[in-house]
Amino acid sequence: MLTVADLPRRELAARLAGPGLVLRTGPFANRIRSDIPQLLDGIALLYADYPVDAPGGFADFHLSLHRAGGLRRFFRPQVCFSHEGVAPFKPLPLAQAYPMFEWVMNWCVTHRAHSWLIIHAAVLERHGRAIILPAPPGSGKSTLCAALVTRGWRLLSDEMTLVRLDDGVVLPLPRPVSLKNESIGIIRAYAPDAVFSAPVENTNKGTIAHLKAPLASIARAGEAARPAFIVFPRYEAGAPVTLAPMGRARAFMGVAENAFNYQVLGMRGFTALGRLIEATAAFEFRYSKLEEAVQLFERLARDGA
Amino acid sequence: MKTRPPALPLLLRVLRDPRIAAGLDAAGWDLLLRQALGADMTAILLVLLEDAGLFEQVPEAARVHLEWARTAGERHARAVRYEVLQIGRALSGLGLPLILLKGGAYAMAGLEAGRGRMFSDIDILVPKAQLGEVEAALMLHGWATTHQDAYDQRYYREWMHELPPMEHLRRGNVIDVHHAILPETAAVRPDPAKLRAAAVALPGLDAGMPPLQVLAPHDMVLHCAVHLFSEGEFSHGTRNLFDLHRLLLEFGRQDGFWDGLPARARELELGRPLFYALRYCKDLLGTPVPDAVLRATAADGPASPLRALMDSLFRRALLPAHPSCADAFAPLAHGMLYIRGNWLRMPFFMLARHLFHKAFLSPDAKPAH
Amino acid sequence: MWRVVPGQSLAFREWDGEAVLYNDLSGNTHLLDGGAVDVLLALRAGPLDAATLAAHLADRFDADGEALPAAIEAMLTDLARLDLVESLPC
Repeated sequence: MLTVADLPRRELAARLAGPGLVLRTGPFANRIRSDIPQLLDGIALLYADYPVDAPGGFADFHLSLHRAGGLRRFFRPQVCFSHEGVAPFKPLPLAQAYPMFEWVMNWCVTHRAHSWLIIHAAVLERHGRAIILPAPPGSGKSTLCAALVTRGWRLLSDEMTLVRLDDGVVLPLPRPVSLKNESIGIIRAYAPDAVFSAPVENTNKGTIAHLKAPLASIARAGEAARPAFIVFPRYEAGAPVTLAPMGRARAFMGVAENAFNYQVLGMRGFTALGRLIEATAAFEFRYSKLEEAVQLFERLARDGA
Repeated sequence: MKTRPPALPLLLRVLRDPRIAAGLDAAGWDLLLRQALGADMTAILLVLLEDAGLFEQVPEAARVHLEWARTAGERHARAVRYEVLQIGRALSGLGLPLILLKGGAYAMAGLEAGRGRMFSDIDILVPKAQLGEVEAALMLHGWATTHQDAYDQRYYREWMHELPPMEHLRRGNVIDVHHAILPETAAVRPDPAKLRAAAVALPGLDAGMPPLQVLAPHDMVLHCAVHLFSEGEFSHGTRNLFDLHRLLLEFGRQDGFWDGLPARARELELGRPLFYALRYCKDLLGTPVPDAVLRATAADGPASPLRALMDSLFRRALLPAHPSCADAFAPLAHGMLYIRGNWLRMPFFMLARHLFHKAFLSPDAKPAH
Repeated sequence: MWRVVPGQSLAFREWDGEAVLYNDLSGNTHLLDGGAVDVLLALRAGPLDAATLAAHLADRFDADGEALPAAIEAMLTDLARLDLVESLPC
């Protein structure tokens, strides 16, 4: 299988500038076109291990990220995302091209891919058990996810948990893990060998960097996982590690509130979520020390309770 | 400018004959789905393929996308029924017939034109004299006006044929309350009282639904035509043209429909939009318009030189809104039709002020849907 | 008299006295007390008034006999706001 790393840089640039680079992430083929060097660099680094399809076939999503034209070519340059000739979002400063790319890749999935219940949650697997971590921004989910990934957990996703509607398994969609502000430094210290994109400052979420997904996780992107636990994490400075069981009805509502397309799915979503809650145990989780959190998760995955 | 762009885009060819889709390769399906997405017609494509018994032959990768559209379409249908129920409740004390227009009408009347048809706002028609009561009742039930800018408010209330769109604070859905089908400021003023008098009650509604009405078949077609051919923006041009096509096919099977259509158009001063509607439906979608009707409406069309120009403009603007369907003249065609759209809706001096305001003072103005 | 709104299938899941219920009309999902689900299921067979419901369900609720019909009436009013039940003219 041809990967991004197999393509000479010249070829990578030519495809991006021309017919499009068709990158496979999980179940999706994404056709990407761009004339922006930072994006080429980011893709070459963080997507090196991802499969590439030949141009000119079928792709699920089509993304164009280009420099905004006119005066903007020279003065405070911007990057513009367009999707089939329509620009659904305002342009961003050119320096934010890579984070914008990651954000747009998420958007394509979350607002259309209704074959799955898509939960705004990280999902990782260890010892055959998948743990789903739903969490609104600021809960420390991404830091926790990145830490687990560097300690050998299989990454299925850091942002979008895809639960198959007919049988409740989770489909992997491993992509670079996004980290903000202090989390970047924390994970660099926690895992000195981790590969990061160049941090981008002054985004509307602060400084953002992306952590490369492990090769093993990408290689197993075709392997679904059975969810065993749903854990709602919250970072609280100074808090000891606590794992408190959560009532199933409340867990149901908590997941529904954190799902991108629960409302769209109607009865099928209700049934699929009901099955997910039945098949898993749900907890609320508080922590402050990353290492304690990682050890607790290891015990949970190993012992099953 | 050439009068005819080269070949019909793939989406239009498939709309005319869904069996063409059966022969597509991966690249063909990729293009077809992209054009359909750009035209907001993916769910309609699904309906056509299923009706033609072709769905099983669609390659797996493409079928997944059609299933996504099916899910979105089902959700949409449910949301529309619920929204109409809530609107009915809000207005139940006013003693007004609830007349639905456009997408909402097609959906609730179970028309072919409603199948797979997505839309964002619900449009209703009420007598001008009761606009104030209707607005107050809606506000009482949780809707709030949008377009807070004083200029925009005036644009709608004084010059246009509708209240500024109202958004429900909790559900987020939008209702457009019309009192006519063309603006106050337009040269042509089809009498809304005639439309309301001819409106038809919907039978067989679910228990709990308010009594609903839709425009009579001729009027529904004419409203669709006037909406399409006096608009300035064509982001949904193909979809709206396909609405006309499906309405004409379905109503065309009723006795007396075709015979009465030109006369009703003239009665409502809508001969010109009907001329365009029949011409471009036949030309682009192959709608089987009887020759007698084409002859009867020919005199309502523009004179020859203007006709050639309008052909070159509309034949571009009505194509799917996708880069693959645009030739070098498309931007100019869109630009001219935008100005024409505003011209038809407002006299010249107001037009200049309006366009100026829109361009320089209201960067967040919501485009006409 | 109260009845389940036509079109509501009352799909629900209950765990430890708390339930989630799917609203077919609005597409919303509601977190309900198990008691509310009992009331809805009791109405499924046919319209009933609050007093009859109180009699049928007395053993499921922690309320004394006098207060129960009023409590159930209040619950039905809340459920009506969600379009799950509606009152019928008697």
